[in-house]
Amino acid sequence: MNPVYNLSFIRKLVQIAAFAFFVYGGTLTGYYLADKVTGSLPALSCAYDKQGSDLCTLIPLQHQMNHRLGEVIASGGNLMMGLMPSLITLGTFLILFVFLNKAFCGWLCPLGTFQELLHNLGQKLGLQRRESLGQGLVQRIRPIKWLILLLLVFGFPLMAGIGWVNHDLGDPFCRICPSRILTTLATGDASQLNLDHANGTTLTLSLIADFLFGLIIVLALTVRQPFCRICPMLALHAVFRKLGLLRLVKNARPRCEKCGLCAKACPMDISEIHTEMQKRDVTFEDCTLCGRCVEFCPDKDVLQLKYATIPVFSADPAYFKQRKKDQRTWEGDNLYALLKNTADGPGGKQS
Amino acid sequence: MSNKTNIGSLFLVISILIATPGASAQTKAEPAVETQQINGQHSQHRRGAKNIVLTDSEGAVAQLWKPDLSIQPLTIKHDSITLPRTGVDNYHAVVVEKDRGLLKESYIRYEYMHGKPSGHSTSELTASRKSTFEIIPDPVPREHQHYQSGETWNFVLRFKGTPAAGIPVTLETSQGSSVDAVSDSAGKISLTIPDDFPDVKEGVRDQRRAELVIHAEMIEDGVTFRTRLGSEYRVNPSHWQSFGLGTAVTGLGMLAGVFLGRIKRTETKRTLR
Repeated sequence: MNPVYNLSFIRKLVQIAAFAFFVYGGTLTGYYLADKVTGSLPALSCAYDKQGSDLCTLIPLQHQMNHRLGEVIASGGNLMMGLMPSLITLGTFLILFVFLNKAFCGWLCPLGTFQELLHNLGQKLGLQRRESLGQGLVQRIRPIKWLILLLLVFGFPLMAGIGWVNHDLGDPFCRICPSRILTTLATGDASQLNLDHANGTTLTLSLIADFLFGLIIVLALTVRQPFCRICPMLALHAVFRKLGLLRLVKNARPRCEKCGLCAKACPMDISEIHTEMQKRDVTFEDCTLCGRCVEFCPDKDVLQLKYATIPVFSADPAYFKQRKKDQRTWEGDNLYALLKNTADGPGGKQS
Repeated sequence: MSNKTNIGSLFLVISILIATPGASAQTKAEPAVETQQINGQHSQHRRGAKNIVLTDSEGAVAQLWKPDLSIQPLTIKHDSITLPRTGVDNYHAVVVEKDRGLLKESYIRYEYMHGKPSGHSTSELTASRKSTFEIIPDPVPREHQHYQSGETWNFVLRFKGTPAAGIPVTLETSQGSSVDAVSDSAGKISLTIPDDFPDVKEGVRDQRRAELVIHAEMIEDGVTFRTRLGSEYRVNPSHWQSFGLGTAVTGLGMLAGVFLGRIKRTETKRTLR
């Protein structure tokens, strides 16, 4: 297939360009936080990365819960004044979010890209991969992102501002976020990869952060998007997903019930894409709008990525056939297969 | 040109104090930065009025450069400047100048102040000519960052708006350490802040602050120009943060990933059976 017509290939190019821009783009946009593009990006581009061009909206939200709202509540001040900075941050987030919806995750997030590239590496190494997680496991994992959003992004920072918990819990999500370690390491700064034994809180948070970072590196080789499944940004996106212009739309046909290729293709294991037969908007809470389900849908126009009402990419049988063939070729060309073929010799496997 | 700086003749910034709003009068302190708990706010954020204490400030003129490059005159009262709240976020520059005819002195300090987003980059402030001879941080520590002991930072010497090459520069700390350097052809110098806080205990967070001043002198047409850049610096967190242990824990996480992968394969085989 001509790469120009391959959505996954195009997406990969966009992801790599976005990674370069968000992680190293500060050389273009400027060094200081005031220079950053929005300061409220709906993707995990970390403020600790001094060469970055923008920063994730979860950072200002945690600071505002802590230093604005929390302190206003503690001092009995004007609640609206305490909320205003968070409302401005959320407003900026929404202006961006409306344009691309959850595609910020599937197309632009540096941490998402890193995990996908690791998974591609796993494919090329010929590692035994898990195509899909069991639905029971998926269902058990799903609430975690909401817990992290409520507790680590809003709850603990607010309580730290009020004075109920110690100040080290003022930005707990950032303290455990793998993107903080990844993006700083990517710029040659190892200061964020550390074990902070200043007190029990910092020790616990840094232990979780370092362990999680290592875990994700290895899991991403064989499991698709391991951290995305618990990412609070995905949960924040889910709250506002009805406002986004880009949507995943399904025109269900009777054949859908027996097919299920869309759910198998989904890197987030959203089985509902397959089972949903009534709703047209199938941009589910875990969807990252990567479009993979559309690529692997064999029936014409059953699945579509629509921008407002305009289809921008639709399922197509001819595309499906070619895409499936390409996928087999891509996965077949790996180090394990090469070594096996070399060991077997030109005559094939000797028994 | 001379690198001999007669410190005694300069108006020295002795300390910066964080004052409770409305209570600007502070007693002089030792050469160190003090923080106070202000109305229940966290001391780390230091939102109170800031007080700069000078010595020998008679005849000196002080200005506050805001992020939008507007300038506000400051009053020096009893060798002390209380920085007014500007209501604007981001770095501001305190510029104190003293003209003694054949000796022209300047002291510059970049201070972060809180308020509404300024909409201006700190690079605009550093690019502006604030004094004939000045030392400019390249860059200023980003918002929420600080100079820390043991870190290396770059600075640029600028004379009449152009880089000043070959000028000897000295960094001195309130702990008594000093470091010398000479500006290169682009006026740049690279200085490592001494790791000189006494009695730092490994593994124990240390939130002490101290003062550093970088100074240089040059002579043109018989006129001596002296400039000083002041800032606070803090204890390097590497004293209680371990890169080695962090890497080891990451390694444990990776091993756990391998272990989880093995469980997965076993489960898959059982399912197949």
